Amino acid sequence: MTLAQALFMGLLQGATELFPVSSLGHAVLIPSLLHWSFKQSDPSFVPFLVLLHLGTAGALLVVYRTQWVEIIKGFFTAAVRGRIEKPSERLAMLLLVGTIPAGILGVFLEHQLKSLFASPKAAAIFLIVNGLLMLGFEALRRRAEARVAPAAKTRVEQEDSFASAEQISFKAAALVGACQALALLPGISRSGVTIGGGLVAGLRHQEAARFSFLLATPIIAAAGVLEIPQLLSSTVPLAEYAAAAVLAGVAAYLSARFLLRYFRSGRLDPYGWYCAAAGAISLALLTFRP
Amino acid sequence: MRGNSLAVGFVVLAVVFVLLAGLYYEGVLQIFVTDPHAKHHTTHAILFSVLAIASLIAANFARSKRTA
Repeated sequence: MTLAQALFMGLLQGATELFPVSSLGHAVLIPSLLHWSFKQSDPSFVPFLVLLHLGTAGALLVVYRTQWVEIIKGFFTAAVRGRIEKPSERLAMLLLVGTIPAGILGVFLEHQLKSLFASPKAAAIFLIVNGLLMLGFEALRRRAEARVAPAAKTRVEQEDSFASAEQISFKAAALVGACQALALLPGISRSGVTIGGGLVAGLRHQEAARFSFLLATPIIAAAGVLEIPQLLSSTVPLAEYAAAAVLAGVAAYLSARFLLRYFRSGRLDPYGWYCAAAGAISLALLTFRP
Repeated sequence: MRGNSLAVGFVVLAVVFVLLAGLYYEGVLQIFVTDPHAKHHTTHAILFSVLAIASLIAANFARSKRTA
């Protein structure tokens, strides 16, 4: 992998990790469409991905630094007390409950799923499925809006009728967390399915995005930290990879800022249409191109 | 009474998870692993350790409900 390719992949991963468009799907599809020769099954590619994920997790920690301090404090206080008294304590426990199903499914199924579906054509098909899921989530949400806020005149008024992350049930948090495991399929977006799951659970769009990003941080960071020994023991161009990781972090930070502003009144639809179109075009190119 | 038995159930679950974490770490259990020849399955061991801690937290919540 050349330096330019590494930097491009860093930028791509950082940007697409938080946008509901599947970073894994893009990481499988784009090098294949551009005829790049590096193999993602190569052992040296794992340390590269690890660093990119650490860059993204770092960016999320920066975005939510004050909230994470409160969440960690709240976690220990509530765990020792055995009772929830503050919203930050409830959010900490919701994140724990949401992380468990993703952790279990991730550890037990990741290898099997990735080896089954890690082909560009499968990624293109799942990208179309991801797009349809985003559109489906929004269709369900529009029904809920008609029921919950029929008199709302603006999008902001509509959104105000829905809940914040701290208010969802533990069952809903577990369900949203389990949705994360779908992202093991290349083409299915982790943030997309968790934001969609949050919408179905009755969260405001912006709160669904916040819950999705908070839920992602421990999983992404843990996956990265666990691979650090492999990273240190391998002979990879660390400086180049680190530069790509910094770029991934910057892209993830800007993406998070943009998305949190966008979801004040925005919907998942544009990303749904983009995924469906990008998946269909990629599938056509992969099938018919010599 | 119900809270009490629930708390005990969570503690038992925590013990089971600790055992599973140990068995995976020692390489005795080889179910759903990427490399069946590896000596240690650290990721699986960490996962079951986290589940054990979560079970103990749940037990503490169930116990507190009973005393409240």
